[in-house]
Amino acid sequence: MFGRKFTGRRQRLAGVVLAVSSLVALAACSSATDAQSKDGKTTITLSMQNPNVKTADPATWAIVKAFEKANPDIHVEVSGQAVAEHLQALSIAAQSDTLPDVFWVYKATAEDMLKAGKLMNLKPTLDDLGITPHLPKSTVSNFTAQDKIYGVPYQGLLTGLWVNKKILSDNGLEQPTTFDDLVNVAKKLKSKGIVTISDGANQSSFSVWSFLVWLDRFGFEDKIDAILDGSESYDNADFVRMYEHIAQLRDAGAFASNVSTQTYQQAVDQYLKGKAAMLDAGVWASSAIQDSQVAADTVFWNGATFADGVGDQNIVMNVASAPLVVDHKVAGNSKKLAAVKKFLGFYYSDAAQQLLVDNGQPPVTDYEPKIDATKQSVLKSALDVARDPKLASPQSQPDLLVSTAVSSAMYDSIYGVIQDQLSPRQAVDLVQKALDAE
Amino acid sequence: MVWVSSRWKIALMLAPALALFTAFFVYPVGYAIAYSFTNSAGFGGAKFVGIDNYTALLDDPFFWQSLRNTVVILVVSLVILIPSSFALALLLRRRIAFAGGLRALVFGPAIIAPILVGLMWVFILDPKIGLLNRLLEPLGVGPIQWIGGNSLTPYSVSLVFVWSSIGFAMTIFYAGLQLVPNDVIEAAKLDGATSWQQLRHVTIPMMRETFAIVTVLLITNVFKIFELVYMLTGGGPVHRSETLVSYMYFVTFTNQRYGSGMAIAVVIFVLGALTSLAYLAAARRRSLA
Repeated sequence: MFGRKFTGRRQRLAGVVLAVSSLVALAACSSATDAQSKDGKTTITLSMQNPNVKTADPATWAIVKAFEKANPDIHVEVSGQAVAEHLQALSIAAQSDTLPDVFWVYKATAEDMLKAGKLMNLKPTLDDLGITPHLPKSTVSNFTAQDKIYGVPYQGLLTGLWVNKKILSDNGLEQPTTFDDLVNVAKKLKSKGIVTISDGANQSSFSVWSFLVWLDRFGFEDKIDAILDGSESYDNADFVRMYEHIAQLRDAGAFASNVSTQTYQQAVDQYLKGKAAMLDAGVWASSAIQDSQVAADTVFWNGATFADGVGDQNIVMNVASAPLVVDHKVAGNSKKLAAVKKFLGFYYSDAAQQLLVDNGQPPVTDYEPKIDATKQSVLKSALDVARDPKLASPQSQPDLLVSTAVSSAMYDSIYGVIQDQLSPRQAVDLVQKALDAE
Repeated sequence: MVWVSSRWKIALMLAPALALFTAFFVYPVGYAIAYSFTNSAGFGGAKFVGIDNYTALLDDPFFWQSLRNTVVILVVSLVILIPSSFALALLLRRRIAFAGGLRALVFGPAIIAPILVGLMWVFILDPKIGLLNRLLEPLGVGPIQWIGGNSLTPYSVSLVFVWSSIGFAMTIFYAGLQLVPNDVIEAAKLDGATSWQQLRHVTIPMMRETFAIVTVLLITNVFKIFELVYMLTGGGPVHRSETLVSYMYFVTFTNQRYGSGMAIAVVIFVLGALTSLAYLAAARRRSLA
C-alpha cells in the first residue's frame, strides 16, 4: 500500500516536473525570439527568399555579418527558403501573427499585408535616419500606400541580357541592337546548334526579365493605371504585337528545346558553360558570371529596340526589387525597434552599399560605388549601362505593379508563347482574364 | 472484476483518438471547406463569396487540364500497375534464386522520396539532356518531348509513378498471396486445374480484398501526386502538366488565392473519396454476386 502511494506520488511529481519544464522551455523559446536572448543580445529575425542566404545571397549575408560586427549587442537571425515556400511560410505566419521582424516579400503581398495591419509604417524611421532622400523617388512612391512607407528596397533590379561576345564574333555576328538584328542572330545561331537566349521555365516561371522590359517598350508604363482601373485592356494591339515578336523570336530558334523542363539555374549553367549566347537575367548573376569561363567575353545588354514599339525605346530596367518590410509588432517592442532601426540605418549606409557592390549588386541608394574594373568587369559592364545618360529607367518592373495572380499570368503568357503553347492573342487574353478575376 | 464495457468508459477510452482525429482531420478539412467559400488571401479578413470559387473553376481551363491529367495518370496507373505488381508478386513467390534480394530491389523505389524520384527522372526524360533520348538518338529516333510538351507529359508522369509504386503494391499482393490457403490450391490441382485456371478461379477470387486495398491506395495516391510533377516539369509548360494537387498548390501558394485553392482542395477530397467508395461498392457487389 505504502509502495503504491509512494509510486503514485512519484508519478504525479514527475508529471508536474515534466509539465513545468515544458512550460519553461516554451517560455524560454518565446522570450528568445520576443526580446533578448540569454547572452543579453537583442535578436531580430530576417527572413529571405533564398534557401541558403550565405551562398545564394552573399550580399545580404555580408551586410548582416558587418552589421553584427558593428553592433555586438544585436544578433540577426537569418533564415531563408525558396520563393514559393517563403511566401507560403509568410502567409501562415501572418495568419498567426508570428511574422519575422524583417522580411522580403512581393510588393503586391506587402500591400495586402499592410491592408491587414501586419506591417509597420517605416516613414518615421526612415525620416529619423535620413534615409529617404538617398533613395530614388520612384522607389519610395512604389513602396508607399495609405500614406505609409511599408517597404525599403532590398536590392536593385537591373535586368536585361548578358551577352557572350565571343560566341557572336565566332559566328560572324555583331551584338544586336534592334529586334530585327536579334532575330537574325537567332537564325544564324540556330543553324549552328547554339542557343541564343538561355531561359528556364521549370519552377522559375518568373525568369522572363528581359521580356518584361519589352512590355515597357510597348507602352506598359503608360497603360498600366488604365488597365488596372478597367478603362484599358491588356488585350490591346500594342501588347499583341509584342507577343507576336516573342513568337517570331521563338520561330527563329532563339530558345533551347528544353526551355520548359530546365530550371533558371540550369539556364544560368548553360550560359556559364558557353552553350548559349545570351542569358536572360539581371545583375545578381554577375558574380557567377565573373567566376566563370565566360567572364571576359560577357557584356550587359539592355535589350532590343523595336521599330514598332511604343514610346521611348532607349530604356534600361534599373529599379528597386521587391521590398524588405517590417512586422507591425516591432513598433511595440522598444528593444527590437531600436535594433531594427540600427539595422536599416546600416543597410542603407555607404559601407553597406559598398558591400552590395562588392558582392555583385548595384547600390540601392545614391551612393557612388568603388568598382574594381578588372575583378568586377561583369558588374561594371551592367552598371555602365545603368548609368548611361542616354538611357532612362521605367519606374518599376511591370510584374511588381500588379497582384501576384496577375504577375503569374504575365509570366505564363510570356513563357506560353516562348514554348509555343499560346498564341499571342491567347497570351494577352490569359492576362486579361487574371485581371478580370481581381 | 472491473467492467470496461459501460458507455462512459468506452467513450473515455475513445476520447483521445477522437480528439486527435478531430484536431488533425476534422478541423483541417472543415477549415478548408469553410475557406473555400471565402476570398481569403491567407491573412487579413476573408469575405464570404458563396460558391464563386467553385463556379470560377468551371471556367478555369487550367483546372480542367489538371483534372484531365490526373484522370490520365489514374487510368494508366490502374491499367499498368495492378496487373504488373500482381504478376511480380506471383513471380517472386516462386522458389527462385535470390527471391528475397529481388523483392527488396523491386521495393527499392518505394522508399525513395518522391521529390528525389522526380529529380532522377528529369535526367532520364528531359528532351535535351535526358538519358532516354540520348539512347534513342543512335537508333534514328528524333528527340521526343517526354516531359514538358503538350501530349506525353501525363503519360510520362504515370510511368514514373508506376515505377515508384510498383514495389509497394507488389509487397501487398505478396502478403495477400501468403494468405491464400495451400490446401485449396492443392484441391484445385487434384481436380486437374491448370496453373492459369488455379490463378483465375482460385487465387484471384480469394484475393479480392487485397485487390481492393491496392486499388484504393492507388486511387488515393494518384490524387495526391505533387512532387513528381513539381520536379519533372513544375506543372509546365503553362500548366499543361499540372495535376490537381500541383495546381491547387500553385493557386494557393503562388497566386496566394487561398479561397480558390481550398475550393480545389475540396474537389480533390470529394473526387478521391467518391472514386474510392465507388470502387469499393463495385467490388463488394461483385463479391456478393
